[in-house]
Amino acid sequence: MKQVININFQGRVVPIETTAFEILKNYTDSLGRHFANEEGKEEIINDIESRIGELFQERITKGATCITDDDVNAIINSIGRPEDFEPMDDAQPSAAASSSSYQQQSNTTSTGHKRLYRNENDKVLGGVCSGLANYFNIDVVIARIIFVVLLFSGVGFLTYIIMWIAVPSTASAEIGGTRKKLFRDPDEKMIAGVCSGIGNYFGINPWIPRVLFLLPFLSFLSRWGHWGGFWDFGDVIRFTFSPTSLIVYIILWIVIPEAVTTSEKLEMKGEKVDMHSIKNSVMEEMKGVGKKAEKFGKEASGVINEKAKAVAGDVQNFSRRSSGGLGNVIAMIAKIFAYFIIGCVCLAIFGTLIALIVGAVKLYPLKDYLLDGNWQNASAWGTLFFFIIIPFIGILIWLIRKITNSKSNSRMLRLTFISLWIVGWVCIVFFVSSIDKEFSRKSNLQDQEMNIINPKANKLIVTTSSTLERTGKRYRWSRFESFDEFLDEDTLTIQNIKVGFIKSPDDSFHVRVLKEARGFSRESANANASKITFNVKQIDSLLVLDEGITINKNDKFRNQNIMVTVYVPVGKQIRVNGDYFRKIYFNNVFNINDYDRDNDYFDDNKWQSGVDYIMKEDGLYTLDGRKADGWNDREDRRRNAKNNRSNTYRYDKIQDSLERRQDSIENRNQQRVDSIEKRNERVKDSLDRQLEKEKNKLENSNGVILNTEPGNLSANIMPGVMILPDIN
Amino acid sequence: MGRSTTKYSHEFLKKEAMNIDNTASQMRKGVLEFCILSVIKQGEAYPSDIIDKMKAANFNLLEGTLYPLLTRLKNAEFLTYRWVESNSGPPRKYFSLTEKGAAFYKELEATWNELSNAVKAVTDIDASNNLNNNNFNNP
Repeated sequence: MKQVININFQGRVVPIETTAFEILKNYTDSLGRHFANEEGKEEIINDIESRIGELFQERITKGATCITDDDVNAIINSIGRPEDFEPMDDAQPSAAASSSSYQQQSNTTSTGHKRLYRNENDKVLGGVCSGLANYFNIDVVIARIIFVVLLFSGVGFLTYIIMWIAVPSTASAEIGGTRKKLFRDPDEKMIAGVCSGIGNYFGINPWIPRVLFLLPFLSFLSRWGHWGGFWDFGDVIRFTFSPTSLIVYIILWIVIPEAVTTSEKLEMKGEKVDMHSIKNSVMEEMKGVGKKAEKFGKEASGVINEKAKAVAGDVQNFSRRSSGGLGNVIAMIAKIFAYFIIGCVCLAIFGTLIALIVGAVKLYPLKDYLLDGNWQNASAWGTLFFFIIIPFIGILIWLIRKITNSKSNSRMLRLTFISLWIVGWVCIVFFVSSIDKEFSRKSNLQDQEMNIINPKANKLIVTTSSTLERTGKRYRWSRFESFDEFLDEDTLTIQNIKVGFIKSPDDSFHVRVLKEARGFSRESANANASKITFNVKQIDSLLVLDEGITINKNDKFRNQNIMVTVYVPVGKQIRVNGDYFRKIYFNNVFNINDYDRDNDYFDDNKWQSGVDYIMKEDGLYTLDGRKADGWNDREDRRRNAKNNRSNTYRYDKIQDSLERRQDSIENRNQQRVDSIEKRNERVKDSLDRQLEKEKNKLENSNGVILNTEPGNLSANIMPGVMILPDIN
Repeated sequence: MGRSTTKYSHEFLKKEAMNIDNTASQMRKGVLEFCILSVIKQGEAYPSDIIDKMKAANFNLLEGTLYPLLTRLKNAEFLTYRWVESNSGPPRKYFSLTEKGAAFYKELEATWNELSNAVKAVTDIDASNNLNNNNFNNP
């Protein structure tokens, strides 16, 4: 009866008899002593040990429950004892024989399965790809391309990191290393044992990885219905992570082998990496150092010297030890982080470049309205090609070379790209400065005032001539739609218009239009401003403004802008219809500071389209008595608009639509009443005239004055007119 | 007296044996590198393969001798290796010749040819002498 222990030999767990272990230990120690002065001692011992490990593995896969004394002796004989190495006598025929028979066995019984290792010899990052390529017998380049493609969905990155950590490296052949193996645990599995295997590997409860896998997946399901909010960053995170956990699980399922045999199960649980095992290995090292120090000491033949050497050895050993063990881990984590950050930056730059290219393509139609002269055009093209597309191509090429591990001379390539990019810098500097010059001077404000007749109703509705409500010209697929919408064959319409309401000094409405533009000189700016045509029309209670400022290719865009100020008498109502005036404000982009003087009063008159306001002594109020506040009103409106658009979580839908219908009915009624009043007026006018005529006639004919007052007459007529057709 | 003689002869024999061993192993050692390089030259080889091939040629070699030798050759940049997955156990080192190693092998080959020709010539003279002697003796 013999005791069997598990040892961790060359990164794998081996069940071995205690006596056999003693033999093995003596043997490896003797090897260590024998090669003590040999250059590359570690490597030689490592090679021999991994050969021993291989032979052990063969025994176990062949069905042996553990390694016995005989096994160890046979292996030692086949490899040879240190005393047999150098003189190399042939006096060991038995060893030779057993060795040869052994080799044959190993050749015929190689039934064990392949192992996944990270390849240290052919790696870009952690050798995961080349390891996988080895494992699946495919080209490394293919594996790398697959990973790069997956990287863009976030899946590849996580998988890579997990595999980097979990898959052993080919170079991880430490003597007595305490590395565990990652296996799927079939005994504790829920689906495929991936989570319980991970739990075993990290020595944690399998429910921790399970919950980690499930959490994002659950949130994904719960949010399945409405992750339409693309710019909501939280949604993006959830969106990328949730299917990721599923895909990662499947990948791990495929890649991680299942622990089938007893030895694999032992390997899976492994020896725990804790303080105790670290202490043990350090102690072992210390012992070895002590021996070495002794040897040194004898050579130096001095007790003090000996001590010093021992201490020095200790220190040296300790530093080597720490840099080898913990240091490796820290270095690896640092490496992962560095690569992660570099990757993020590269991805960001790449994304920005793509966005710039897309932007340039989308902005292309606007080119003629902005650029003046050949030089500007040339510099714009130069900027596009050399400043944006060149680095884009450069990064692409770099990526491809990195993937294919191309080692050819890249110096010329790099120089070419850098010099082209410098040309791009020159272009962009010239471009920006020339454009900046075109916008450098501001025109005088050109004033245009207009009185309007007070509408019959107490309310003025600001609306727009709907020249832009063209059908079939709406591209909803990008955010640059506005340009398409406002671009005609040879004219560009910009909504560079601000509308403000302030209290009228008297009891009637006034409208004041201020025009402004920019140019390279004050004169050219004034000329640009005077070219602006902007029409304001009043149709009774409607104040119709042009939808935008039209610019043709000769005029160019020079930030022409319009400020419309409506003076509203106290007690009158005002309202801006529709989505007008909230689309684009180039003002805000180009000259934020220009309107400081105006902003003051515009700020006091915050308003939102689609909301009724009433003018009071100290400014605008909503009809329910709240002081006008553009932001809050907008929030209200936006909420309404959102509710109108999505019909998922709306309980007040019907109420909303009713309110809207009521609104529109009120509007129509108002308009009808207006028009009827107008008709009445006309009828009254004509009747008055008729009456006057009749009166005159009568006076002329017989001088009899009839008591026919116009009011009575109109009152008589009114009922007939008041029969209104279907108001609803 | 006889006792001392036997003792002396025993020690002499032992010493002789060691000398023979030593000489033989020295000779083997000289050609060992050459043999290993020529095995590797035929194609990438795993240490066990090398031993098998040597054994097939009746040149017994211990793995414990081979590994340090390979490491030395590798450190001298005559050899290079790559890791290859094995069906059982850890990945294996497969060795192949570098350009430097190939040049080194050529030199060794030339030396070996010279040496073996010389040895053959020398031993042939010996053999022919014997033959001649025999011829003289026979008639």
